[in-house]
Amino acid sequence: MNAPLFQIKNFGVCYGQVSALQDADLVMAPGSVVTVIGPNGAGKSTLLNGLMGLLPSTGEVIFDGQSLAGMGTEERVMAGISLVPERRELFADMPVIDNLLLGSFRRHRLREKTPTDQLDWVYDLFPRLKERSSQLAGTLSGGERQMLAVGRALMGKPRLLMLDEPSLGLAPRIVQEMLDVIGGLRVHGVSTLLVEQNARAALALADHGYVLENGRIVLQGPAGELANNPRIAQSYMGMTTSDAVAAADATN
Amino acid sequence: MTQKSVSPAAPVGASPVPGAGSRRLAAGALVLLAAALPLAPVPDLFITQANYVGLYALVVLGLVLLTGIAGLTSFGQAAFVGIGAYATAYCTLTFGWSPWITLFVGLGATGVSAWLIGTITMRMSGHYLPLATIAWSIALYYLFGSVEALGKYDGLSDLPSIGLLGWDLGGSRAMYALIWLSVGLSAWGALNLLDSRPGRAIRALHGGVQMAEAMGVDTARLKVTVFVIAALLASVSGWLFAHLQRAVNPTPFGLEASLKYVIMLVAGGMSQVGGAVLGSSVMTLLQDQLQVLLPRVFGSAGNFEVIVFGLVLVLLLRFAPGGMWPAVGRWLPTRRIAVVPEAKALARRTPVPAGEVLLQVRGVQKRFGGLLAVDGVDLNVKAGEIVGLIGPNGAGKSTTFNLITGVLPPSGGEVQLRGQRIDGQAARAISRLGLARTFQHVKLIADMSVLENVALGAYQRARVGVVAAVLRRDRRIEASMLQEAQRALHRVGLAELMHRPAGSLALGQQRLVEIARALCCDPALLLLDEPAAGLRAFEKQALAVLLSELRDEGMGILLVEHDMEFVMKLTDHIVVMVFGRKIAEGSPQVIQTHPAVLEAYLGAAP
Repeated sequence: MNAPLFQIKNFGVCYGQVSALQDADLVMAPGSVVTVIGPNGAGKSTLLNGLMGLLPSTGEVIFDGQSLAGMGTEERVMAGISLVPERRELFADMPVIDNLLLGSFRRHRLREKTPTDQLDWVYDLFPRLKERSSQLAGTLSGGERQMLAVGRALMGKPRLLMLDEPSLGLAPRIVQEMLDVIGGLRVHGVSTLLVEQNARAALALADHGYVLENGRIVLQGPAGELANNPRIAQSYMGMTTSDAVAAADATN
Repeated sequence: MTQKSVSPAAPVGASPVPGAGSRRLAAGALVLLAAALPLAPVPDLFITQANYVGLYALVVLGLVLLTGIAGLTSFGQAAFVGIGAYATAYCTLTFGWSPWITLFVGLGATGVSAWLIGTITMRMSGHYLPLATIAWSIALYYLFGSVEALGKYDGLSDLPSIGLLGWDLGGSRAMYALIWLSVGLSAWGALNLLDSRPGRAIRALHGGVQMAEAMGVDTARLKVTVFVIAALLASVSGWLFAHLQRAVNPTPFGLEASLKYVIMLVAGGMSQVGGAVLGSSVMTLLQDQLQVLLPRVFGSAGNFEVIVFGLVLVLLLRFAPGGMWPAVGRWLPTRRIAVVPEAKALARRTPVPAGEVLLQVRGVQKRFGGLLAVDGVDLNVKAGEIVGLIGPNGAGKSTTFNLITGVLPPSGGEVQLRGQRIDGQAARAISRLGLARTFQHVKLIADMSVLENVALGAYQRARVGVVAAVLRRDRRIEASMLQEAQRALHRVGLAELMHRPAGSLALGQQRLVEIARALCCDPALLLLDEPAAGLRAFEKQALAVLLSELRDEGMGILLVEHDMEFVMKLTDHIVVMVFGRKIAEGSPQVIQTHPAVLEAYLGAAP
């Protein structure tokens, strides 16, 4: 592997006294798609929110050779990281185009010229957004909203895009459409950290996968190998860790 | 005068913490001192000031209940003072009635108008009440000022003094006794009310309406009741004011006066009965001093004190949002609710034989605009059975839960609890039929003790009205409710924390308090919304043991839960939802290997 684009070591997040994530280590090569999968409540969203600086965290986070320790969320955005939050968090009363332009707000402040190139690129990726550019975000369908949320994040020219369950609440066909676009970002130099509950679809797309369970990474490996590991289904279906380890050992 | 401010906060009826005897004695001495004040050779001016403080304190006490505790804002209290004052002025002068009769005329007029305003505005959400009270305040001010019979802006004068058993209470020292007796009795009544069944429900109104409804409280009606109580206290203050001044005119009942009451409330301490007296004392004294001092400083006449009041308010809200009361209150005995062990137990529901179907959900549907969030779900829960409702995020589990508990009305299908249709009924009605619930986001009253929080669960198992509570005629049934709450806390293993404020507990403990509160409803069916979320491993273990015990005693339990390990080990039967539909049901073993369930969770097989 080349010098990693993104690396976290010994990463942890606590809510008060309750630890939601501990000892997480993760590495991403430039231009790769890495997925973190796990059952509900495993700590996936917590991981992303911690990495974005939205939650206080412990441990080391290195992006492009630079430590993110002590950086606020805005600085992390400036460094080239964007998050698409689980709930999309669009501005429902604003048209699509204004939602997109807000994504480039920080760069705009730096007197960079009006981001038409960036906007054209996002419209290329999601032609549907161009069709609806003057429509209010609140009137979009579920799939279009997710496209808008991803498009808005891409307006910030990220090198690392973090997605929190983009498949949530979407019909399977739209999920596939969405994931195809995300996979295509590789060629544009955007690396993706994809958090998903939909393990099979995420692993089919990703280069490398991590499995999170009860706030710990319990399994990792190349996505193709991981997809065939029965331990994942057991983890999702609540078979106890010891049972699952025994079962996984038996199959390997 | 500041000494006197502690008197109404003396611990009434609640047994003090051991070792607080000397503080209790000191508080009692202060009350005596305050009572003896008019007999002492203090200047008349001093007594006059004290009288006004008492009048303001009555109004602010109403605001403590209404705004500080129930969370409803009123900018129209001075208008209710005006009704009390004008009612007695008009009736004594025109008909020659005794002030003791016109007191009740004023109370009646105030009560009716407050009830009307309350009934119209409380059912609306948002800022309708504060706006309506402002409009009311302004309208009444101009009404007082333009009606011929009320003397227009000159008002009415030459009112008679109040007489009692042949004594004339015309002097300011005699009025002192009457005013402060009123303040003392009102504060005593307010403290009694807060420590009672309706009081706990009032304390839940501020941010806990959904929870209170689930415990069987008619919150809309209760809000109107609190609004009326606050108005009645203002009316009493108006009656006293009219006979102290022997004259009324519209000025003291305008919007500015209402705002001053709100400032006194914030200064004293929003949610403290003692804060009402403290706030009115300090602000009255401050106003007096400033009116003398500031014109000298600025070298010209003017109402400069208004500027200082504004500053004080901003500084208080920024640095001491609890007002000044906490600084005084810590010198007073700590109130602690006593549980009487020999209290008579509350009546229990006749137990349902194990295996009988408690909950029957048939083809229930919920449509939000074009989205069918729940699409024809069927499920049953029997007595003595734990059923799990699971599914990926956004599957419609919480919506289904809300349809069963009456938070939302279903768009189609039906729900039966023990053979009775409950779909479309209000949450409080469903709760009375034997369904108790907990909440995904814990809903406890943070500054109320754990014991009282749990006792709220027994709300619909007793009948205690506001009047009985104020007069303390509820002690026997109150003891039974508290004892029931204590028993429920024993059940979940938190009895030793019962006097702590609920907000000081860890999340896992708070979830157990919610279960204790639900048990206090004496339910046949328990609905738990993500009971294991945020719990540590050993806490989950303890919770599982408790729920299994309850099942063995014949309770039916339905839980929504994401922790699969917890669900698989605990439940007897599982229902799986995806995109609003039921895709599978069966035993945990069946569900764990069910292909459709695996596909729902992991995605389609490649």
